[in-house]
Amino acid sequence: MAAGRAFVGIDAGSTAAKLVRFDGRRVVRSRMVPARDWHSLVGTVRPREAVCTTGYFRRKVPHHLTLTEISAARLGVARSFPDAEVIIDLGGQDTKVTDLRNLTLQMNDRCSAGTGAFLEQAARYFGMSVEGLSRMAERARDRVDINSTCSVFAQSEMISMLERGARREEVAAGLHHALARRIAELVPDAERIVAIGGVARNRSMLFALGAILGRRLRVPPEPQMVNALGAALHAVAHSSQS
Amino acid sequence: MGRRGRRKARVAGITALVPPELIYAAGWRPLDINNWIPGSDARPRSKLCAWTASWREAILGGELKLDALVVVAGGDCHNALADGQVAARNVGRTHYFFYPFDGDAGYMEGQLRALEGFLGEGLRGERAHDRAMRALEEVAAAKRLGLRLEALRSAGRADPGSTFDALISFSDLEGDPARFGGKVERLIDASRDFRGTEGPGVALIGVPPIYRDFHRACAEAGLRVVFDELPYEFLRLGGHDLRSLARSYSTYTFARPVEFRLGLLKRELSRRKVRGIIHYAQFTCHHLLEDGLLREELDLPMLTVQGDLPGRTPAQVRLRLEAFGELLGAGKGAI
Repeated sequence: MAAGRAFVGIDAGSTAAKLVRFDGRRVVRSRMVPARDWHSLVGTVRPREAVCTTGYFRRKVPHHLTLTEISAARLGVARSFPDAEVIIDLGGQDTKVTDLRNLTLQMNDRCSAGTGAFLEQAARYFGMSVEGLSRMAERARDRVDINSTCSVFAQSEMISMLERGARREEVAAGLHHALARRIAELVPDAERIVAIGGVARNRSMLFALGAILGRRLRVPPEPQMVNALGAALHAVAHSSQS
Repeated sequence: MGRRGRRKARVAGITALVPPELIYAAGWRPLDINNWIPGSDARPRSKLCAWTASWREAILGGELKLDALVVVAGGDCHNALADGQVAARNVGRTHYFFYPFDGDAGYMEGQLRALEGFLGEGLRGERAHDRAMRALEEVAAAKRLGLRLEALRSAGRADPGSTFDALISFSDLEGDPARFGGKVERLIDASRDFRGTEGPGVALIGVPPIYRDFHRACAEAGLRVVFDELPYEFLRLGGHDLRSLARSYSTYTFARPVEFRLGLLKRELSRRKVRGIIHYAQFTCHHLLEDGLLREELDLPMLTVQGDLPGRTPAQVRLRLEAFGELLGAGKGAI
Protein backbone atom coordinates (compact mmCIF):
# COMPACT_ATOMS: atom_id res chain seq x y z
CA MET A 1 0.00 0.00 0.00
CA ALA A 2 1.41 3.42 -0.90
CA ALA A 3 2.24 5.46 2.24
CA GLY A 4 -0.16 8.31 2.91
CA ARG A 5 -2.38 7.33 0.03
CA ALA A 6 -6.15 7.52 0.42
CA PHE A 7 -8.68 5.16 -1.06
CA VAL A 8 -12.07 6.22 -2.29
CA GLY A 9 -15.13 4.06 -2.67
CA ILE A 10 -18.06 5.44 -4.63
CA ASP A 11 -21.40 3.66 -4.63
CA ALA A 12 -23.30 5.05 -7.59
CA GLY A 13 -26.71 3.62 -6.73
CA SER A 14 -30.08 4.04 -8.37
CA THR A 15 -31.44 6.56 -5.86
CA ALA A 16 -28.33 7.96 -4.13
CA ALA A 17 -24.59 8.19 -4.72
CA LYS A 18 -22.25 7.74 -1.74
CA LEU A 19 -18.56 8.33 -1.23
CA VAL A 20 -16.30 6.92 1.46
CA ARG A 21 -12.69 8.05 1.81
CA PHE A 22 -10.52 5.57 3.70
CA ASP A 23 -6.95 6.29 4.76
CA GLY A 24 -5.94 2.65 5.12
CA ARG A 25 -7.02 2.46 8.77
CA ARG A 26 -10.27 4.34 9.15
CA VAL A 27 -12.98 6.21 7.30
CA VAL A 28 -11.99 9.86 7.10
CA ARG A 29 -14.98 11.12 5.17
CA SER A 30 -18.35 9.91 3.97
CA ARG A 31 -20.92 11.75 1.94
CA MET A 32 -24.22 10.96 0.25
CA VAL A 33 -25.94 12.90 -2.55
CA PRO A 34 -28.92 12.21 -4.83
CA ALA A 35 -27.96 9.81 -7.64
CA ARG A 36 -28.13 12.54 -10.29
CA ASP A 37 -25.45 14.55 -8.43
CA TRP A 38 -22.72 11.89 -8.52
CA HIS A 39 -20.46 14.33 -10.41
CA SER A 40 -20.15 16.39 -7.25
CA LEU A 41 -18.59 13.40 -5.47
CA VAL A 42 -16.11 12.81 -8.27
CA GLY A 43 -15.08 16.45 -8.01
CA THR A 44 -13.77 15.82 -4.49
CA VAL A 45 -11.37 13.04 -5.55
CA ARG A 46 -7.70 14.05 -5.35
CA PRO A 47 -5.15 13.12 -8.02
CA ARG A 48 -3.30 10.31 -6.17
CA GLU A 49 -6.38 8.65 -4.72
CA ALA A 50 -7.34 5.18 -5.88
CA VAL A 51 -11.03 5.06 -6.77
CA CYS A 52 -13.16 1.94 -6.77
CA THR A 53 -16.76 2.26 -7.87
CA THR A 54 -19.78 0.06 -7.24
CA GLY A 55 -23.54 0.28 -7.75
CA TYR A 56 -25.74 0.38 -10.83
CA PHE A 57 -23.84 3.23 -12.47
CA ARG A 58 -20.37 2.09 -11.40
CA ARG A 59 -19.02 2.02 -14.93
CA LYS A 60 -20.27 5.52 -15.66
CA VAL A 61 -18.26 7.05 -12.83
CA PRO A 62 -14.49 7.49 -13.51
CA HIS A 63 -12.63 4.74 -11.64
CA HIS A 64 -9.46 2.69 -11.34
CA LEU A 65 -11.33 -0.38 -10.18
CA THR A 66 -14.93 -1.49 -10.15
CA LEU A 67 -16.91 -4.26 -8.52
CA THR A 68 -20.55 -5.17 -8.08
CA GLU A 69 -22.45 -3.96 -5.05
CA ILE A 70 -22.90 -7.56 -3.94
CA SER A 71 -19.15 -8.03 -3.54
CA ALA A 72 -18.78 -4.52 -2.10
CA ALA A 73 -21.41 -5.36 0.51
CA ARG A 74 -19.51 -8.49 1.44
CA LEU A 75 -16.29 -6.53 2.03
CA GLY A 76 -17.99 -3.63 3.79
CA VAL A 77 -19.99 -5.85 6.14
CA ALA A 78 -16.92 -7.94 7.04
CA ARG A 79 -15.37 -4.83 8.62
CA SER A 80 -18.15 -4.61 11.24
CA PHE A 81 -19.35 -8.20 11.30
CA PRO A 82 -16.65 -10.63 10.14
CA ASP A 83 -18.81 -13.60 11.18
CA ALA A 84 -21.90 -12.53 9.18
CA GLU A 85 -23.71 -15.40 7.52
CA VAL A 86 -26.32 -13.55 5.47
CA ILE A 87 -26.42 -9.98 4.15
CA ILE A 88 -29.71 -8.31 3.27
CA ASP A 89 -29.09 -5.19 1.20
CA LEU A 90 -32.31 -3.20 1.41
CA GLY A 91 -32.08 -0.75 -1.45
CA GLY A 92 -34.39 1.80 -2.99
CA GLN A 93 -34.95 -0.17 -6.18
CA ASP A 94 -34.14 -3.74 -5.24
CA THR A 95 -33.33 -6.08 -2.41
CA LYS A 96 -30.31 -8.36 -2.56
CA VAL A 97 -29.74 -11.28 -0.23
CA THR A 98 -26.33 -12.95 -0.14
CA ASP A 99 -25.79 -16.15 1.79
CA LEU A 100 -22.07 -16.01 2.57
CA ARG A 101 -22.02 -19.65 3.71
CA ASN A 102 -22.62 -21.02 0.23
CA LEU A 103 -22.14 -17.91 -1.95
CA THR A 104 -25.72 -17.86 -3.07
CA LEU A 105 -27.54 -14.71 -4.09
CA GLN A 106 -31.18 -13.88 -4.40
CA MET A 107 -32.54 -10.61 -5.68
CA ASN A 108 -35.98 -9.14 -5.78
CA ASP A 109 -36.14 -6.60 -8.55
CA ARG A 110 -38.95 -7.82 -10.73
CA CYS A 111 -41.23 -5.21 -9.21
CA SER A 112 -41.03 -2.64 -6.44
CA ALA A 113 -43.01 -4.76 -3.98
CA GLY A 114 -39.91 -5.84 -2.04
CA THR A 115 -38.00 -2.57 -2.10
CA GLY A 116 -37.77 0.86 -0.52
CA ALA A 117 -39.84 2.22 -3.42
CA PHE A 118 -42.84 0.46 -1.86
CA LEU A 119 -42.54 2.59 1.29
CA GLU A 120 -41.76 5.74 -0.69
CA GLN A 121 -45.00 5.35 -2.60
CA ALA A 122 -46.97 4.91 0.63
CA ALA A 123 -45.20 7.83 2.31
CA ARG A 124 -46.10 10.05 -0.64
CA TYR A 125 -49.76 9.16 -0.17
CA PHE A 126 -49.62 10.27 3.48
CA GLY A 127 -47.68 13.39 2.47
CA MET A 128 -44.70 12.58 4.64
CA SER A 129 -41.16 11.24 4.39
CA VAL A 130 -40.29 7.55 4.63
CA GLU A 131 -38.77 8.31 8.05
CA GLY A 132 -42.07 9.92 9.08
CA LEU A 133 -43.96 6.83 7.92
CA SER A 134 -41.64 4.66 10.02
CA ARG A 135 -42.17 6.83 13.10
CA MET A 136 -45.93 6.69 12.57
CA ALA A 137 -45.79 2.88 12.39
CA GLU A 138 -43.83 2.80 15.66
CA ARG A 139 -46.77 4.46 17.40
CA ALA A 140 -49.21 1.74 16.31
CA ARG A 141 -50.69 -0.56 18.94
CA ASP A 142 -51.89 -2.99 16.31
CA ARG A 143 -51.48 -3.39 12.57
CA VAL A 144 -53.79 -4.14 9.66
CA ASP A 145 -53.03 -6.98 7.27
CA ILE A 146 -52.07 -5.87 3.76
CA ASN A 147 -52.37 -8.96 1.60
CA SER A 148 -51.39 -7.67 -1.84
CA THR A 149 -47.82 -8.32 -2.87
CA CYS A 150 -48.02 -5.76 -5.68
CA SER A 151 -47.21 -2.27 -4.38
CA VAL A 152 -49.86 -0.63 -6.55
CA PHE A 153 -52.57 -3.01 -5.34
CA ALA A 154 -51.28 -2.65 -1.77
CA GLN A 155 -51.86 1.08 -2.03
CA SER A 156 -55.47 0.50 -3.14
CA GLU A 157 -55.88 -1.89 -0.23
CA MET A 158 -54.39 0.69 2.13
CA ILE A 159 -56.78 3.40 0.92
CA SER A 160 -59.84 1.19 1.28
CA MET A 161 -58.77 0.28 4.83
CA LEU A 162 -58.41 3.92 5.75
CA GLU A 163 -61.88 4.57 4.32
CA ARG A 164 -63.25 1.75 6.44
CA GLY A 165 -61.88 3.49 9.52
CA ALA A 166 -58.49 1.87 10.15
CA ARG A 167 -56.04 4.08 12.04
CA ARG A 168 -53.19 5.61 10.02
CA GLU A 169 -50.60 4.20 12.42
CA GLU A 170 -51.98 0.69 12.04
CA VAL A 171 -51.98 0.99 8.26
CA ALA A 172 -48.37 2.23 8.33
CA ALA A 173 -47.40 -0.74 10.52
CA GLY A 174 -49.22 -3.06 8.11
CA LEU A 175 -47.31 -1.64 5.15
CA HIS A 176 -43.95 -2.22 6.84
CA HIS A 177 -45.02 -5.75 7.72
CA ALA A 178 -46.14 -6.44 4.12
CA LEU A 179 -42.78 -5.29 2.78
CA ALA A 180 -40.91 -7.30 5.41
CA ARG A 181 -42.92 -10.41 4.56
CA ARG A 182 -41.98 -10.03 0.92
CA ILE A 183 -38.27 -9.63 1.73
CA ALA A 184 -38.30 -12.49 4.25
CA GLU A 185 -39.19 -14.87 1.39
CA LEU A 186 -35.67 -14.33 0.05
CA VAL A 187 -33.80 -14.81 3.33
CA PRO A 188 -32.41 -18.23 4.26
CA ASP A 189 -32.41 -19.39 7.85
CA ALA A 190 -29.28 -18.13 9.62
CA GLU A 191 -28.14 -16.96 13.05
CA ARG A 192 -26.13 -13.92 12.01
CA ILE A 193 -28.05 -11.77 9.56
CA VAL A 194 -26.80 -8.28 8.71
CA ALA A 195 -29.07 -5.63 7.17
CA ILE A 196 -27.54 -2.81 5.11
CA GLY A 197 -28.74 -0.21 2.62
CA GLY A 198 -30.90 2.86 3.05
CA VAL A 199 -33.96 0.92 4.17
CA ALA A 200 -31.90 -0.63 7.01
CA ARG A 201 -32.12 2.77 8.76
CA ASN A 202 -35.87 2.30 9.00
CA ARG A 203 -36.61 1.01 12.54
CA SER A 204 -40.15 -0.14 11.78
CA MET A 205 -38.86 -2.14 8.86
CA LEU A 206 -36.14 -3.79 10.92
CA PHE A 207 -38.64 -4.56 13.67
CA ALA A 208 -41.07 -6.20 11.23
CA LEU A 209 -38.39 -8.14 9.37
CA GLY A 210 -36.76 -9.32 12.61
CA ALA A 211 -40.13 -10.46 13.95
CA ILE A 212 -40.91 -12.48 10.80
CA LEU A 213 -37.44 -14.05 10.66
CA GLY A 214 -37.34 -14.65 14.41
CA ARG A 215 -33.89 -13.03 14.56
CA ARG A 216 -32.45 -9.77 15.79
CA LEU A 217 -30.93 -8.19 12.71
CA ARG A 218 -27.48 -6.66 12.99
CA VAL A 219 -27.01 -3.26 11.42
CA PRO A 220 -23.61 -1.63 10.91
CA PRO A 221 -23.12 2.10 11.54
CA GLU A 222 -24.25 4.08 8.49
CA PRO A 223 -25.77 1.04 6.72
CA GLN A 224 -26.34 3.06 3.56
CA MET A 225 -22.57 3.65 3.23
CA VAL A 226 -21.46 0.01 3.55
CA ASN A 227 -21.12 -0.65 -0.18
CA ALA A 228 -19.05 2.49 -0.70
CA LEU A 229 -16.87 1.38 2.22
CA GLY A 230 -16.55 -2.08 0.65
CA ALA A 231 -15.44 -0.48 -2.61
CA ALA A 232 -12.82 1.59 -0.77
CA LEU A 233 -11.59 -1.57 1.00
CA HIS A 234 -11.34 -3.31 -2.34
CA ALA A 235 -9.12 -0.48 -3.56
CA VAL A 236 -6.93 -0.98 -0.47
CA ALA A 237 -6.70 -4.73 -1.06
CA HIS A 238 -5.89 -4.22 -4.73
CA SER A 239 -3.21 -1.70 -3.83
CA SER A 240 -1.59 -4.23 -1.47
CA GLN A 241 -1.56 -6.87 -4.21
CA SER A 242 -0.07 -4.63 -6.90
CA MET B 1 -32.27 -37.98 -47.95
CA GLY B 2 -31.62 -35.99 -51.13
CA ARG B 3 -31.97 -32.22 -51.47
CA ARG B 4 -35.01 -32.57 -53.71
CA GLY B 5 -36.67 -34.73 -51.05
CA ARG B 6 -35.88 -32.15 -48.38
CA ARG B 7 -37.55 -29.37 -50.32
CA LYS B 8 -40.72 -31.39 -50.52
CA ALA B 9 -40.70 -32.45 -46.89
CA ARG B 10 -43.63 -31.23 -44.88
CA VAL B 11 -42.88 -29.30 -41.72
CA ALA B 12 -43.84 -30.66 -38.30
CA GLY B 13 -43.54 -28.05 -35.58
CA ILE B 14 -42.46 -29.42 -32.21
CA THR B 15 -43.06 -27.60 -28.93
CA ALA B 16 -40.26 -29.41 -27.03
CA LEU B 17 -38.03 -32.40 -27.61
CA VAL B 18 -39.71 -34.96 -29.89
CA PRO B 19 -37.35 -37.54 -31.41
CA PRO B 20 -36.22 -35.68 -34.54
CA GLU B 21 -34.82 -38.85 -36.09
CA LEU B 22 -38.30 -40.35 -36.17
CA ILE B 23 -39.74 -37.25 -37.85
CA TYR B 24 -37.00 -37.25 -40.49
CA ALA B 25 -37.43 -41.00 -40.93
CA ALA B 26 -41.12 -40.42 -41.67
CA GLY B 27 -40.16 -38.04 -44.46
CA TRP B 28 -41.03 -34.86 -42.54
CA ARG B 29 -38.89 -31.96 -41.41
CA PRO B 30 -39.04 -31.11 -37.68
CA LEU B 31 -39.05 -27.47 -36.68
CA ASP B 32 -38.44 -26.62 -33.04
CA ILE B 33 -40.77 -23.65 -32.77
CA ASN B 34 -38.84 -22.24 -29.81
CA ASN B 35 -35.50 -21.73 -31.51
CA TRP B 36 -36.31 -18.50 -33.39
CA ILE B 37 -37.55 -16.72 -30.27
CA PRO B 38 -34.29 -15.49 -28.62
CA GLY B 39 -33.30 -13.79 -31.89
CA SER B 40 -36.64 -12.03 -32.13
CA ASP B 41 -38.27 -9.10 -30.41
CA ALA B 42 -41.48 -11.01 -29.84
CA ARG B 43 -43.89 -9.29 -27.46
CA PRO B 44 -46.78 -11.70 -27.16
CA ARG B 45 -50.09 -10.58 -25.74
CA SER B 46 -51.81 -12.52 -22.98
CA LYS B 47 -48.80 -14.44 -21.83
CA LEU B 48 -47.59 -16.41 -18.86
CA CYS B 49 -44.43 -17.91 -20.38
CA ALA B 50 -42.90 -15.83 -23.18
CA TRP B 51 -41.49 -18.97 -24.83
CA THR B 52 -44.84 -20.64 -25.41
CA ALA B 53 -46.82 -17.44 -25.92
CA SER B 54 -44.35 -16.28 -28.61
CA TRP B 55 -44.76 -19.37 -30.74
CA ARG B 56 -48.50 -19.42 -30.12
CA GLU B 57 -48.79 -15.86 -31.46
CA ALA B 58 -46.48 -16.60 -34.39
CA ILE B 59 -48.57 -19.61 -35.40
CA LEU B 60 -51.86 -17.78 -35.02
CA GLY B 61 -50.49 -14.77 -36.90
CA GLY B 62 -49.26 -16.95 -39.75
CA GLU B 63 -45.58 -16.08 -39.29
CA LEU B 64 -44.84 -19.72 -38.49
CA LYS B 65 -46.32 -21.90 -41.19
CA LEU B 66 -46.59 -25.53 -40.23
CA ASP B 67 -48.07 -28.59 -41.91
CA ALA B 68 -48.55 -30.23 -38.51
CA LEU B 69 -47.93 -29.47 -34.88
CA VAL B 70 -46.66 -31.98 -32.34
CA VAL B 71 -47.39 -30.71 -28.84
CA VAL B 72 -45.46 -32.30 -26.00
CA ALA B 73 -48.40 -32.75 -23.65
CA GLY B 74 -46.77 -35.01 -21.07
CA GLY B 75 -43.25 -34.16 -19.99
CA ASP B 76 -43.39 -30.45 -20.67
CA CYS B 77 -45.32 -27.67 -18.92
CA HIS B 78 -49.00 -26.86 -18.92
CA ASN B 79 -48.26 -23.47 -20.48
CA ALA B 80 -47.04 -25.35 -23.56
CA LEU B 81 -50.07 -27.62 -23.50
CA ALA B 82 -52.51 -24.70 -23.19
CA ASP B 83 -50.77 -22.50 -25.76
CA GLY B 84 -50.36 -25.55 -28.01
CA GLN B 85 -54.10 -26.15 -28.00
CA VAL B 86 -54.78 -22.51 -28.85
CA ALA B 87 -52.15 -22.51 -31.62
CA ALA B 88 -53.53 -25.79 -32.98
CA ARG B 89 -56.54 -23.87 -34.29
CA ASN B 90 -54.35 -22.46 -37.02
CA VAL B 91 -52.57 -25.71 -37.91
CA GLY B 92 -54.16 -28.38 -40.06
CA ARG B 93 -53.17 -31.36 -37.95
CA THR B 94 -52.09 -31.62 -34.34
CA HIS B 95 -50.71 -34.54 -32.37
CA TYR B 96 -50.21 -34.73 -28.59
CA PHE B 97 -47.09 -36.53 -27.49
CA PHE B 98 -46.55 -37.90 -23.97
CA TYR B 99 -43.32 -38.91 -22.26
CA PRO B 100 -43.63 -41.50 -19.50
CA PHE B 101 -43.14 -39.97 -16.05
CA ASP B 102 -42.02 -43.35 -14.73
CA GLY B 103 -39.67 -44.01 -17.65
CA ASP B 104 -41.63 -47.01 -18.95
CA ALA B 105 -39.90 -47.83 -22.24
CA GLY B 106 -42.92 -49.84 -23.41
CA TYR B 107 -45.16 -46.81 -23.00
CA MET B 108 -42.57 -44.68 -24.80
CA GLU B 109 -42.52 -47.13 -27.68
CA GLY B 110 -46.31 -46.86 -27.89
CA GLN B 111 -46.00 -43.08 -28.09
CA LEU B 112 -43.39 -43.31 -30.84
CA ARG B 113 -45.64 -45.69 -32.73
CA ALA B 114 -48.55 -43.26 -32.38
CA LEU B 115 -46.37 -40.42 -33.66
CA GLU B 116 -45.25 -42.58 -36.55
CA GLY B 117 -48.90 -43.24 -37.35
CA PHE B 118 -49.70 -39.53 -37.22
CA LEU B 119 -46.88 -38.70 -39.61
CA GLY B 120 -47.99 -41.45 -41.95
CA GLU B 121 -44.79 -43.23 -42.66
CA GLY B 122 -42.01 -44.30 -40.40
CA LEU B 123 -39.54 -47.06 -40.04
CA ARG B 124 -41.93 -49.66 -41.39
CA GLY B 125 -42.67 -50.59 -44.98
CA GLU B 126 -40.15 -51.51 -47.65
CA ARG B 127 -40.54 -48.34 -49.70
CA ALA B 128 -39.91 -46.10 -46.72
CA HIS B 129 -37.29 -48.29 -45.12
CA ASP B 130 -34.20 -47.13 -47.02
CA ARG B 131 -35.04 -43.47 -46.66
CA ALA B 132 -35.78 -43.94 -42.97
CA MET B 133 -32.50 -45.75 -42.32
CA ARG B 134 -30.59 -43.05 -44.14
CA ALA B 135 -32.32 -40.37 -42.06
CA LEU B 136 -31.57 -42.19 -38.82
CA GLU B 137 -27.93 -42.52 -39.77
CA GLU B 138 -27.62 -38.83 -40.74
CA VAL B 139 -29.13 -37.71 -37.45
CA ALA B 140 -26.93 -40.11 -35.47
CA ALA B 141 -23.81 -38.93 -37.33
CA ALA B 142 -24.63 -35.29 -36.55
CA LYS B 143 -25.27 -36.15 -32.90
CA ARG B 144 -21.93 -37.94 -32.63
CA LEU B 145 -20.31 -34.71 -33.86
CA GLY B 146 -22.39 -32.80 -31.34
CA LEU B 147 -21.07 -34.98 -28.55
CA ARG B 148 -17.51 -34.28 -29.71
CA LEU B 149 -18.15 -30.54 -29.75
CA GLU B 150 -19.79 -30.73 -26.33
CA ALA B 151 -16.78 -32.55 -24.91
CA LEU B 152 -14.39 -29.96 -26.39
CA ARG B 153 -16.42 -27.12 -24.87
CA SER B 154 -16.49 -28.84 -21.48
CA ALA B 155 -12.72 -29.13 -21.62
CA GLY B 156 -12.48 -25.40 -22.38
CA ARG B 157 -11.40 -26.03 -25.96
CA ALA B 158 -14.44 -24.66 -27.80
CA ASP B 159 -16.34 -21.40 -27.49
CA PRO B 160 -19.26 -21.87 -25.04
CA GLY B 161 -21.55 -19.46 -26.88
CA SER B 162 -21.31 -20.93 -30.36
CA THR B 163 -21.34 -24.44 -28.88
CA PHE B 164 -24.60 -23.67 -27.08
CA ASP B 165 -26.12 -22.27 -30.29
CA ALA B 166 -25.26 -25.52 -32.05
CA LEU B 167 -26.34 -27.84 -29.25
CA ILE B 168 -29.71 -26.18 -28.77
CA SER B 169 -30.41 -26.78 -32.47
CA PHE B 170 -30.11 -30.55 -32.06
CA SER B 171 -33.84 -30.63 -31.31
CA ASP B 172 -34.53 -30.19 -35.02
CA LEU B 173 -31.06 -30.19 -36.63
CA GLU B 174 -32.10 -27.05 -38.48
CA GLY B 175 -34.21 -29.01 -40.92
CA ASP B 176 -31.31 -30.80 -42.61
CA PRO B 177 -29.24 -33.28 -40.60
CA ALA B 178 -26.46 -33.65 -43.18
CA ARG B 179 -25.96 -29.93 -43.63
CA PHE B 180 -26.27 -29.32 -39.90
CA GLY B 181 -23.68 -32.06 -39.25
CA GLY B 182 -21.33 -30.19 -41.59
CA LYS B 183 -21.88 -27.00 -39.65
CA VAL B 184 -21.04 -28.74 -36.36
CA GLU B 185 -17.97 -30.27 -37.97
CA ARG B 186 -16.79 -26.80 -38.96
CA LEU B 187 -17.24 -25.65 -35.37
CA ILE B 188 -15.07 -28.56 -34.25
CA ASP B 189 -12.44 -27.55 -36.81
CA ALA B 190 -12.62 -23.93 -35.69
CA SER B 191 -12.04 -25.00 -32.09
CA ARG B 192 -8.40 -25.69 -33.01
CA ASP B 193 -7.90 -21.92 -33.11
CA PHE B 194 -9.87 -21.31 -29.95
CA ARG B 195 -7.59 -19.74 -27.37
CA GLY B 196 -9.49 -21.05 -24.39
CA THR B 197 -11.53 -19.34 -21.74
CA GLU B 198 -10.65 -18.23 -18.25
CA GLY B 199 -12.73 -18.40 -15.13
CA PRO B 200 -14.54 -20.89 -12.97
CA GLY B 201 -16.49 -23.57 -14.79
CA VAL B 202 -20.23 -23.23 -14.30
CA ALA B 203 -23.23 -25.28 -15.33
CA LEU B 204 -26.33 -23.76 -16.87
CA ILE B 205 -29.31 -25.81 -15.75
CA GLY B 206 -33.04 -25.44 -16.31
CA VAL B 207 -34.78 -24.31 -19.45
CA PRO B 208 -32.65 -22.47 -22.02
CA PRO B 209 -32.29 -18.70 -21.48
CA ILE B 210 -34.57 -16.58 -23.65
CA TYR B 211 -31.73 -14.04 -24.07
CA ARG B 212 -29.77 -14.43 -27.30
CA ASP B 213 -26.44 -13.29 -25.82
CA PHE B 214 -26.64 -15.03 -22.46
CA HIS B 215 -23.46 -17.08 -22.93
CA ARG B 216 -21.56 -14.00 -23.99
CA ALA B 217 -22.83 -12.22 -20.89
CA CYS B 218 -21.58 -15.17 -18.80
CA ALA B 219 -18.16 -14.97 -20.46
CA GLU B 220 -17.99 -11.22 -19.87
CA ALA B 221 -18.74 -11.88 -16.20
CA GLY B 222 -15.77 -14.27 -16.11
CA LEU B 223 -17.93 -17.38 -16.01
CA ARG B 224 -17.03 -20.34 -18.21
CA VAL B 225 -20.08 -22.41 -19.08
CA VAL B 226 -19.03 -26.06 -19.26
CA PHE B 227 -22.45 -27.69 -19.17
CA ASP B 228 -25.81 -26.80 -20.72
CA GLU B 229 -28.36 -29.14 -19.25
CA LEU B 230 -31.20 -29.16 -21.75
CA PRO B 231 -29.16 -29.12 -24.97
CA TYR B 232 -27.11 -31.99 -23.56
CA GLU B 233 -30.36 -33.95 -23.37
CA PHE B 234 -30.87 -33.40 -27.09
CA LEU B 235 -27.73 -35.36 -27.90
CA ARG B 236 -29.19 -38.75 -27.02
CA LEU B 237 -28.40 -41.45 -29.51
CA GLY B 238 -31.05 -43.96 -30.45
CA GLY B 239 -30.78 -47.05 -32.60
CA HIS B 240 -32.43 -48.12 -35.81
CA ASP B 241 -35.77 -49.26 -34.46
CA LEU B 242 -38.56 -47.94 -32.29
CA ARG B 243 -37.58 -50.07 -29.34
CA SER B 244 -34.07 -48.67 -29.06
CA LEU B 245 -35.33 -45.11 -29.67
CA ALA B 246 -37.89 -45.67 -26.93
CA ARG B 247 -35.21 -46.90 -24.52
CA SER B 248 -33.17 -43.77 -25.19
CA TYR B 249 -35.96 -41.19 -25.03
CA SER B 250 -37.63 -42.72 -21.97
CA THR B 251 -34.64 -41.40 -19.98
CA TYR B 252 -35.27 -37.78 -21.02
CA THR B 253 -34.80 -36.28 -17.57
CA PHE B 254 -36.97 -33.18 -17.98
CA ALA B 255 -40.00 -35.45 -18.31
CA ARG B 256 -39.11 -37.61 -15.31
CA PRO B 257 -39.32 -37.13 -11.52
CA VAL B 258 -36.89 -34.53 -10.21
CA GLU B 259 -34.85 -37.21 -8.38
CA PHE B 260 -34.07 -38.78 -11.74
CA ARG B 261 -32.96 -35.42 -13.10
CA LEU B 262 -30.79 -34.84 -10.02
CA GLY B 263 -28.99 -38.10 -10.77
CA LEU B 264 -27.90 -36.82 -14.18
CA LEU B 265 -27.00 -33.40 -12.80
CA LYS B 266 -24.87 -34.76 -9.95
CA ARG B 267 -23.01 -37.03 -12.32
CA GLU B 268 -22.34 -34.35 -14.95
CA LEU B 269 -21.47 -31.57 -12.48
CA SER B 270 -18.94 -33.79 -10.75
CA ARG B 271 -17.48 -35.10 -14.01
CA ARG B 272 -16.93 -31.54 -15.28
CA LYS B 273 -15.61 -30.18 -11.97
CA VAL B 274 -18.24 -27.46 -11.96
CA ARG B 275 -17.72 -24.73 -9.33
CA GLY B 276 -21.06 -22.98 -9.57
CA ILE B 277 -24.52 -23.36 -11.06
CA ILE B 278 -26.71 -20.92 -12.91
CA HIS B 279 -30.32 -22.04 -12.65
CA TYR B 280 -32.32 -20.35 -15.35
CA ALA B 281 -36.09 -20.34 -15.09
CA GLN B 282 -38.66 -18.45 -17.06
CA PHE B 283 -40.93 -15.98 -15.27
CA THR B 284 -43.99 -17.98 -14.11
CA CYS B 285 -42.17 -21.23 -14.90
CA HIS B 286 -43.04 -24.19 -12.68
CA HIS B 287 -39.35 -25.15 -12.69
CA LEU B 288 -38.75 -22.23 -10.35
CA LEU B 289 -40.60 -24.21 -7.70
CA GLU B 290 -37.78 -26.78 -7.88
CA ASP B 291 -35.16 -24.16 -7.10
CA GLY B 292 -35.02 -24.84 -3.36
CA LEU B 293 -34.74 -28.56 -3.92
CA LEU B 294 -31.93 -28.11 -6.44
CA ARG B 295 -30.06 -25.80 -4.04
CA GLU B 296 -30.41 -28.35 -1.28
CA GLU B 297 -29.33 -31.34 -3.35
CA LEU B 298 -26.62 -29.90 -5.56
CA ASP B 299 -24.42 -28.45 -2.83
CA LEU B 300 -22.71 -25.85 -5.04
CA PRO B 301 -23.04 -22.05 -5.16
CA MET B 302 -26.12 -21.35 -7.22
CA LEU B 303 -27.44 -18.27 -8.94
CA THR B 304 -31.07 -18.28 -10.00
CA VAL B 305 -31.92 -16.14 -13.00
CA GLN B 306 -35.48 -15.46 -14.10
CA GLY B 307 -36.04 -14.30 -17.63
CA ASP B 308 -39.13 -12.91 -19.23
CA LEU B 309 -39.22 -11.45 -22.74
CA PRO B 310 -36.69 -12.28 -25.48
CA GLY B 311 -33.85 -9.94 -26.41
CA ARG B 312 -30.44 -9.08 -25.04
CA THR B 313 -29.51 -10.02 -21.49
CA PRO B 314 -30.80 -7.14 -19.32
CA ALA B 315 -28.48 -5.13 -17.08
CA GLN B 316 -30.09 -6.57 -13.95
CA VAL B 317 -29.25 -10.09 -15.05
CA ARG B 318 -25.72 -9.07 -16.09
CA LEU B 319 -25.21 -7.61 -12.62
CA ARG B 320 -26.18 -10.94 -11.09
CA LEU B 321 -23.81 -12.82 -13.38
CA GLU B 322 -20.97 -10.44 -12.63
CA ALA B 323 -21.55 -10.67 -8.88
CA PHE B 324 -21.68 -14.44 -9.12
CA GLY B 325 -18.39 -14.40 -11.01
CA GLU B 326 -16.84 -12.25 -8.30
CA LEU B 327 -18.12 -14.55 -5.59
CA LEU B 328 -16.63 -17.54 -7.39
CA GLY B 329 -13.34 -15.69 -7.76
CA ALA B 330 -13.47 -14.89 -11.46
CA GLY B 331 -11.73 -12.08 -13.26
CA LYS B 332 -10.51 -8.66 -12.20
CA GLY B 333 -13.21 -8.10 -9.61
CA ALA B 334 -12.32 -11.28 -7.72
CA ILE B 335 -12.35 -10.80 -3.99
